[in-house]
Amino acid sequence: MTRRSPTPYLFLAPALILIAVFVLYPILSVIYYSFTDYSISTPPVWIGGANYQKLIGDPTFWLALTHSVVYLLVTPILIVLSIGLAIIVNRRMRGIHIFRALYYIPAVSGSIAIGISWRWLFDTNGLINSALISLGVLHEPIQWLSEPAAVLPIAMLLTIWAGVGYYSVIFLAGLQNIPEDLYDAARIDGCSDLQKHRYVSVPGLRPQIVFVAVISSLAALKVFDEIYVLTNKTGGILDSGTTVVFFLWEQAFRLTHAGYASAIAIVLLLITLIFSVVNVRLLDRRAEAD
Amino acid sequence: MEIARAVELTADTRVASRGARPRRRLETTFWYIVLISISVVTVLPFAWMLLTSLKGPQDPIFSVPPQFIPAHPTLANYDKVLHTLPIVSFFRNSIVVAVSVTLLSVLVTALAAYPLSKMRFKGRDAIFYLLLGTLIVPVQLTYIPSYVLAVNVFHYYDTPLALILPNLASAFNIFLMRQAFKAVPNDLIEAARIDGAREIRIWWSVLLPIVRPSLATVAIFTFVTSWNDFLWPSLMLHTRDGMTLPVGLATLQGLFSSDFRSIAAGVTMTIVPILIFFIAFQRQFVRGLAGAVKG
Repeated sequence: MTRRSPTPYLFLAPALILIAVFVLYPILSVIYYSFTDYSISTPPVWIGGANYQKLIGDPTFWLALTHSVVYLLVTPILIVLSIGLAIIVNRRMRGIHIFRALYYIPAVSGSIAIGISWRWLFDTNGLINSALISLGVLHEPIQWLSEPAAVLPIAMLLTIWAGVGYYSVIFLAGLQNIPEDLYDAARIDGCSDLQKHRYVSVPGLRPQIVFVAVISSLAALKVFDEIYVLTNKTGGILDSGTTVVFFLWEQAFRLTHAGYASAIAIVLLLITLIFSVVNVRLLDRRAEAD
Repeated sequence: MEIARAVELTADTRVASRGARPRRRLETTFWYIVLISISVVTVLPFAWMLLTSLKGPQDPIFSVPPQFIPAHPTLANYDKVLHTLPIVSFFRNSIVVAVSVTLLSVLVTALAAYPLSKMRFKGRDAIFYLLLGTLIVPVQLTYIPSYVLAVNVFHYYDTPLALILPNLASAFNIFLMRQAFKAVPNDLIEAARIDGAREIRIWWSVLLPIVRPSLATVAIFTFVTSWNDFLWPSLMLHTRDGMTLPVGLATLQGLFSSDFRSIAAGVTMTIVPILIFFIAFQRQFVRGLAGAVKG
């Protein structure tokens, strides 16, 4: 194959053209829009850094940013629960495949369908209230999704519930790659079952932990569907469920403040970049350790 | 391997005293209780949806204690939803979009992955890092310009094309395919080149058949992602008959407001097909997820 041949470029052309049109061009446009007053229907007008100034002074933006950062808490919880579940389903038991499949169901059902079912679980007339009342925990129903303090935790719970089965499959594959000898050695050294997992499983799962940390935290930063359905498109009372992406959507497509929303998008990009740099550092450290 | 373990197990039980057997049985029972409890947590919302969707008007949806099994089971709720919402069209649209995205995306990304994994050419590293960079970009960032493109340039607003074209060149899929191609021995490709095969022919008849499992993984994940995609389709689809399932489903709440039996019927109808799909391809799902980490 000669170096001058056009062949490699022909193979790459469709993908590169699509990426140029649907990723690179939009990034450049968003940067430009973020310095303009723009409502999609009328042409953008240059206003310099006014959108960013407005953003810094906008309490809703800071609230949304706080919510997105709080949302990152799902990552450590997901990692711990998924590893626990992987260890449980790694036992050789009859019918274990059926259980593994059952745990995976929430991951494939789609966030909108799941969100609707959860909305009704937590409805004033929902299953959660009637169960809690019949158990004597509550005396009268709580309006869960109208309770500002409850909206974000319920959305996070939903993300965790839907994610554990998915991520545990990754950890399960990792567990099955850990040599049996290590567990035998741990047993001979007098490790209890719990210690065995602490000193053999967890270190052995390092690559999977890094992978899940990256994937689930990036997903948490971009959460939208759950909030949209649980709060019925409102973002919750007093913006109690508004995240950065929800705020972006609301500004851009509901209020048609596309210029302002573009500034939000740039902030989102910066956060993601910082996050990715941290993640790459973590990955590098792992490579050194290996 | 399996046999060795079985022998080991029988040897274990033979050596162990009689007291060990009830203990083991107790342990097994304990783990089954744990497994079943977890299943209750994962399946309960779905089971509750299904049962509620079958409830007749006399059956309470809210009662203390909660009533699970409908006393007057009926399919009337399904009938009502099917008459109010074009669920069949939603299905057809979702299938058209997900199948097109899957086939075209596999094609485009497998094409791009070949030179990136098996050819030397100017700019290869630059292109590779460019693709790597696009992985970080949150897709929501692109929605405002993509919306403008859809309305003003491509004029595909409110058509399936709007959901297909922007989702074809997934950098993630290119990486998975590149990884798969890298594992193919160079000798095979060299031999084909000596035989005078053209590159496109080598790609089609030598490489693609070898990496079929990876193609399947990429295809299934692309399909499920496209099937469940919501935010971008909700921006692009306006006419009700043109909506995909998640977008149509989201209108369900507004239409039936507090008629939970009908909402439950609508949700159940949309979840069942994807569950069947998942059960059919379960092995590929698991293998794909497990392999993604190594890549």
